[in-house]
Amino acid sequence: MEILPQLLVNALIAGSIYALASSGLALMYSLGRILNFAHGHMMMLGAYLFYWFHIELGIGLGGSAIGTAIFMTMLAEVSRLIFVKPFLDFSPLLVLVTTLALGVMFEAIVSMLFGVSVKSLSVGLELSSIEIGPIFITPLQIIIISSAIVLLSLLAIVVHRTALGRKLRAVASHREASSSLGISTENMFRMVFIGGSLLAAFAGIMVGYETNMQPTMGSSYTIKAFAAMMLGGLGNVWGTVLGSYLIGLIENLSIGLDFGGYSLPAGYKDAISFVIILGVLLVRPQGLFGRAARAV
Amino acid sequence: MEYLIHLAILCCLYLILCQSFNLNFGLGASFNLAHVASFALGAYATALLSTEQDWGVALCLSSSVIVSGVFALLIGLIARRLKQDYFAIGTLAFSAVVTALLINWKSLTRGVLGVPGIPRPVIGIVNFYENTNFLIFIGIAAALSQLVLWHLFHCPFARKLKAQSEFENGALAMGIDTGYVRQVSFIIASAFAGLAGAMYAYYLNYIDPSSFSLNEMIFIITVVVIGRPGSFWGVTASTIFLVLLPEPLRFLDIPASVLGPMRQLIYALLLFVTVYWQRANLFPRERKV
Repeated sequence: MEILPQLLVNALIAGSIYALASSGLALMYSLGRILNFAHGHMMMLGAYLFYWFHIELGIGLGGSAIGTAIFMTMLAEVSRLIFVKPFLDFSPLLVLVTTLALGVMFEAIVSMLFGVSVKSLSVGLELSSIEIGPIFITPLQIIIISSAIVLLSLLAIVVHRTALGRKLRAVASHREASSSLGISTENMFRMVFIGGSLLAAFAGIMVGYETNMQPTMGSSYTIKAFAAMMLGGLGNVWGTVLGSYLIGLIENLSIGLDFGGYSLPAGYKDAISFVIILGVLLVRPQGLFGRAARAV
Repeated sequence: MEYLIHLAILCCLYLILCQSFNLNFGLGASFNLAHVASFALGAYATALLSTEQDWGVALCLSSSVIVSGVFALLIGLIARRLKQDYFAIGTLAFSAVVTALLINWKSLTRGVLGVPGIPRPVIGIVNFYENTNFLIFIGIAAALSQLVLWHLFHCPFARKLKAQSEFENGALAMGIDTGYVRQVSFIIASAFAGLAGAMYAYYLNYIDPSSFSLNEMIFIITVVVIGRPGSFWGVTASTIFLVLLPEPLRFLDIPASVLGPMRQLIYALLLFVTVYWQRANLFPRERKV
């Protein structure tokens, strides 16, 4: 039990990354029932773009960040126009399949350009941990947790306190009514897609620093984001954020705690989110805070 | 010549795998992403039983088929509760759980090390290490599977399956037990996937969890989507086409590390183009009265 505080901190770190990754996905879903399977790949792309700017080209942190943001914006917009927009009038499953294809394409292109070997952004950096009471934490991890709080608060302010946020919420609750009131749903989709992808890219860069990155990391984060969305309630962004932290908690507690002598092997960590998805779908499809139960 | 025989064997293998997915997805409109998990279970069943228990061909093949068939009962459970896109996500998650189990249940599956040294089948004095003989073996299996599946595609069961996919309430009103029909289609498709898995294990003599990933599932989806879901001969043609398509790449001077991703890229691109072209017809909305 002595390691419980450390486990909670680890959960907070993991949850922060998942929350940054999944809030974009939740926004996209609440706006247009878009299940973007390539969202995790946006994380991967953000990490690799930053790697290219910062490590391979040698550009400083600020410049790399701006470069990554510009490229990500363009990529997100192009992806949306080609892989999402033409399919919105048809079944939502179509978008799942096309974004699946998009994800595979991203993975293939990055593998061809950068190779499949694992890379890390923290090459050559000294990240020693600080001891605060019973827990060890590194400065990077503090940055991760605080930036998640800052960015999510910014998101909350934008969504709930600005005119733009009102328009977003309007489109999320009723697309046709909003468009008849003069809100450009196209612009809303565009903003949500780009914003969500930028958040994911930031999360990807954090992952690149904290652990490592490889072209295949996209799909596992997408599935975790899906799990967070299912757990928190489809169509509910804050539920998804809560779901992300819950998943971080469940993952770390189930690996770290000793259930009377037996502890789950660490390799099962990823499987937990899959089991969560299944469990939620079978027991309570609307998640914890979902809107009225979907007709499943 | 050896190379052509190898390609023919692959065609036969994927024919069994993709035609069965066509039954699920093409006729029944169930986007069962756990199909590759049935494939994996069939492969592992044969692999483990022939290496550790020394079971013969007939027993191993039947075990693979039965294991995958029973696994389909779980898929049916998911289908009972979920529809359409939720079913897809659910089976995706399920498939990922199976993969995670294959990787982590080391005492059973040897994890990422895989199962090496799977012997070729032994029937009489025939040497199945000769690929020509193996081609005849898998060719017969594929031909029989195609025959059975063709009959399934053209029998009353197929019409019931189609009916429940187009208009579930109408089918129910006509007395068709839609849950049962779906379950049976899952079991049949899964059993064939298990057979394909057994063949895979016997041919490659080594399997590991990485061959049964999402990328494999995307290949199956690509084949069926391009061949027009529900069309028996369409999927037959597209299987052969897509298995053979990336082979010319081999003769170009591309390093191996680029070749793999390039194949992925081609399949993903083809899938996207076909989905875009057919977007009005795939995943049709259920008819409203």
